[in-house]
Amino acid sequence: MSRYAIPGALVGVPVLLALLGPFVASEDTTKDVAFLVGQGHWLGTDFVGRDVWNEVLLGGRSLVLIAVLATAATYLVAVPLGLVTGMTRNRWLDELLMRPLDVVLAIPSMLLLLLLASIAPNIAWILVAIVALINVPDVIRLSRAAALSVSSRPAVEAMRLQGENRLRIGCGYVARAMLRTLAADLGTRFTGAVYLVASASFLGVGVPPGTSDWAAMVDRNRAGLFLQPWAVVVPAVLIIMLSIGVNLAFDQWLRNDERARGRAAETPAPTSGRPRTEVVS
Amino acid sequence: MNLPRYVLRRLLLGIVQVVAAMVAIFFLTDALPGDAAVTTAGDNPDPAVIALLREQLRLDEPAWQRLGSWMSGVLHGDLGESLVGPSPVTEVIGAAIGPTLLLAALTVALLVPVSVLLGMLAANREGSRTDRLITSSTLGLYSAPEFSTAILLVALFAVQLGWFPPTAVGSESLLSNPALLVLPVFVLLLRPVCSLSRLVRAGMVDALRSDYVRHARRLGLRPTRVQVAHALPNAIAPAVQQLARTLDWLLGGVIVVEYVFAVPGLGTTLVEAVSARDLPVVQGLALVFATTTVLINLAADVAARAFAPASEVGR
Repeated sequence: MSRYAIPGALVGVPVLLALLGPFVASEDTTKDVAFLVGQGHWLGTDFVGRDVWNEVLLGGRSLVLIAVLATAATYLVAVPLGLVTGMTRNRWLDELLMRPLDVVLAIPSMLLLLLLASIAPNIAWILVAIVALINVPDVIRLSRAAALSVSSRPAVEAMRLQGENRLRIGCGYVARAMLRTLAADLGTRFTGAVYLVASASFLGVGVPPGTSDWAAMVDRNRAGLFLQPWAVVVPAVLIIMLSIGVNLAFDQWLRNDERARGRAAETPAPTSGRPRTEVVS
Repeated sequence: MNLPRYVLRRLLLGIVQVVAAMVAIFFLTDALPGDAAVTTAGDNPDPAVIALLREQLRLDEPAWQRLGSWMSGVLHGDLGESLVGPSPVTEVIGAAIGPTLLLAALTVALLVPVSVLLGMLAANREGSRTDRLITSSTLGLYSAPEFSTAILLVALFAVQLGWFPPTAVGSESLLSNPALLVLPVFVLLLRPVCSLSRLVRAGMVDALRSDYVRHARRLGLRPTRVQVAHALPNAIAPAVQQLARTLDWLLGGVIVVEYVFAVPGLGTTLVEAVSARDLPVVQGLALVFATTTVLINLAADVAARAFAPASEVGR
C-alpha cells in the first residue's frame, strides 16, 4: 500500500480541493484592493481583488470534471468505432472510417484546440467535446489494432464458424480481450486530457471571464507576479501535482498488475504526442 | 515494397493530407463566430462600414469560391493580406518564423544529447538509486503542463533570484540577450527529454542484456566502445520515430511557451490572430503547422524504414 503513498498524496490534495472546495468556499465575494499580500487574506488577493484562497477552493472543479468527462467521452466514441473497423472484413468500411483520421492527425493538437475553441461559444462542455475529439483518432487506432489482433485468434475463428452472432463475438469476446490494452492507455489518456484542458484554459479558451479556474488564475494573475506570487504559484503547483500524481499512480497500478500476473515488471515508456499503432499493409 | 516506391507512396499520401488539412482548416476558420468585418470595423460599428468592409474582404462570396481562390493563391506563394495590419500574410509569417525556428533548433540540438546521456546513465545503473530517481522524475515531469512549470520557473529564477529576464518584452531580438533563451528552451526541453530518455533507457537495458553485448565484452572490447558503438545504435532505433513525433509536438506546444515568455514567434502570432479573427493569418499559420507536421512524420517513417528494414512485415 505504501507504494501508493506519494502518488496518492499528489493526486489527493488537488482532487479533494477541487471536489470539496466549492462546498467550503465562502459566499462572500466582496472585492478588496488588487494584489494585496496578507491583510486579512491568507493568500492575498488576485488581479481584481478577490480572495485567492477562495478562488483556489472554487477553481479546481472545472479542470477535474472536464478532464474526466472528456476521457470518458473519448472511449465511448472511439472504442466501438475501433471495434467495428478492427473486426470488419469489409475493406471499404475500414478505409472509409480510418482515412479521415489521417487528416486530423496532420493538424497539431494545440492548433486544432485553438481553432475549434474559437469557433465554439465559451462553454465548459464544448471544451469536453473538443478534447474528446482530439483524442478520438488515437484511441480508434489503438482499439482497432487491438481488435485486429484479437479477432484473428483461433477462438474467434471458431465462434465465427459456429455461426455465432457477430455482435456477441464483438462485445462478449473481442471487447473483453481488449480491456487490458485500454486500461494501459487510460493513464496516458487522462493525463493528456488534463494537459489539454489546463493549457486551453491558460490560453483563455473555455473559461468565461469572471469564472474561477486554476489555469486561468495562472494567466490572469501573471501581471502581479512581482507583487503577489501566491495567486500564480498556488494554482500552478496544484495543476502540476495533479498531472504528476495521476501519471505516477497509473504507472504504479500497471506495475502491480503486471507483477500480479507474474510478468517482468517493465512498463512501456510513455509515448509523447500521438502514438501511432499502424499496421503495415 | 522497395524504399523509393515506399517514399513515393508516402509523399503522395502526404500531399493528400496537406490538401485535406487545408480544406478542414478553411472551413473551421470560416465558421469562427463574429466575422472579420465586424472586428475590423471597431467598437462602434456602422452597418454601412461593415457592408463595405465585407465587400472589400470578399466575405459576401460563397465559401467554396473563397476556398478556391485561397488555394490557387497558396500554389502561387500568395497567402492573402492580413486583415489587421496592412501587410501580406507571408510577411507576417516571415517576421515571426525566426524566433520560433531559433527556439526549436536550440531545443532539438540539446534534446538528443541530454536524453541519450540520461537514458544511458539510468540503464547502466539499472535498479540503483540514480536509475529510480531518473525514471520516476521523467515519468512524473513528462505530464506537467508547460505553462505551469514555466510560470513556477519564472517566479523562482526571474522574480525571486533575478537571474533571467521574465519575458522577452522590450528586447529587439532573442539573440541580443541570450539569457532570455534559457528558461523558454529549458521548459520546451522538459517534456521531450522525459519521453525520449525513457525510450533510450528501455532500449539500452535490452541491449545491455543481449548476447551480442555480452559477446563483445567477452572479446575484451573497451566498455565505452561496447556502449557507444554496439549497444547504443540498437537502443536508439525506436527513439528515432519518437524524436520526429516530438518535433511535431514541439511546434504545437511551442504556442504555450511563446505566449508565456512573450516571444514574438509563430505561436504568439497565432494566438493573437485567432482572438483578432485575422482569418488569412490563421489559415496561413495553420497551413505552415500542418505541412511541417506531415513532412516530419514522413521523414520519420522513411528513416525508421531505412533503419529497421525488419519491420517490413506484410509486403
